Amino acid sequence: MKKILAAENLSYSINEAKLFQGLSFELHEGNALHVLGSNGSGKTSLLRIISGLTKPTRGIIKKYNTKNICFVGHKNALKQYLTVEDNISLLEVDKHIDLNIFLEKLELNNLLDVMVANLSYGQQKKLALLRVFLNDSDLLVLDEPCVGLDKNSKNILCSFLRDQKEDKKALIFSSHLSLDIDSEFINLDKVTS
Amino acid sequence: MKLINFEFLKLRKKSRGWLGPILVFILIMTAFPLTVEILNSNLEQAFFSVLWIATLLVMMLATEDIFLEDYNDGTLEQTAIKYDSLALLVAIKIFVYWSLIGIPISLIGALYAFGITGSIESALQILPVLIITTYIFLNIFSFGNALSLTKGSILGTLITMPLVLPLLVVLGKVVIAINLGISFLGFLFLLLGILSIIILILPMVISFVIKAHLE
Repeated sequence: MKKILAAENLSYSINEAKLFQGLSFELHEGNALHVLGSNGSGKTSLLRIISGLTKPTRGIIKKYNTKNICFVGHKNALKQYLTVEDNISLLEVDKHIDLNIFLEKLELNNLLDVMVANLSYGQQKKLALLRVFLNDSDLLVLDEPCVGLDKNSKNILCSFLRDQKEDKKALIFSSHLSLDIDSEFINLDKVTS
Repeated sequence: MKLINFEFLKLRKKSRGWLGPILVFILIMTAFPLTVEILNSNLEQAFFSVLWIATLLVMMLATEDIFLEDYNDGTLEQTAIKYDSLALLVAIKIFVYWSLIGIPISLIGALYAFGITGSIESALQILPVLIITTYIFLNIFSFGNALSLTKGSILGTLITMPLVLPLLVVLGKVVIAINLGISFLGFLFLLLGILSIIILILPMVISFVIKAHLE
């Protein structure tokens, strides 16, 4: 299996507070990595470092054959004053062949003319997750992807992520909820000093 | 091209973003004669000063949330991951703001110039100056806005205010040249020179500032 990503001796501090230190791991295609840890342990920071948004205090991230990274964080990157349809075009998934299938599965197909501001939090989360469902990425980085999702949507997401693993995509996620995905674990509480 | 379309869509649909500054500009330009004795000579004397200051304030107002909204909702994060450089996005954003706010204000300003001076020649001379000036102002205030992205936009804009003061001096000279009927092309080329340097450098500087905020 090809290596997708390698973290070497990663450390991250905010001011004087050390979140994690000396963290090393590798991620291969078809692998999933579940990042665990208590609040403030650095899960989001780690995912942002992997996405390239944040620089680690020490250590490096090496990416191999990674063309695109799909990142979904706490912020949905949706425009509240635009309709669902407009937001879909901003997500650049409007031409995707599977768009209608996922709109139907996520029960968003009848909401295309609705302003995002008028959607519930869960519906907005599902709309943001279209970026994941219709991705063209080798590496999926998801920060608490199930927050706000109902049981059906959570099952759709888990099933999709399992399929992505089978398609040899790499996956790294943090979640307080248990996800039915075969994955390795990193517990940041145990690497924090 | 996709980024330009997206930015046009976002600003066009957010009517308060572009219509607000234009209405404020019209309000200032319409209201200022009420504060001056209604004699044409008085109006003409004050007109150009009011025009430049109104343009400056309205451009400041227009850039108030040029990056803030994208920062708050996570769009900037997604763009930073997707594209290697944020500078292109910044340059496109400023261009779109100039197209939907700067150019209409320049046209309206020229129209007011015609209304006040009664000279179509003055109006046509002031139009290119306004078009260039609004683009320069937008770039400078966007820089200020980026500097204080997480601390309120006014603070950053005030920091960059000294950068626009030399421009106001040049604009004053342009008006004197137009009123005296002498060539103002030298000043126009000076403004164009400033603009060409600014549009090359500032988007890159702004993108570094935004990246620092994203971290």
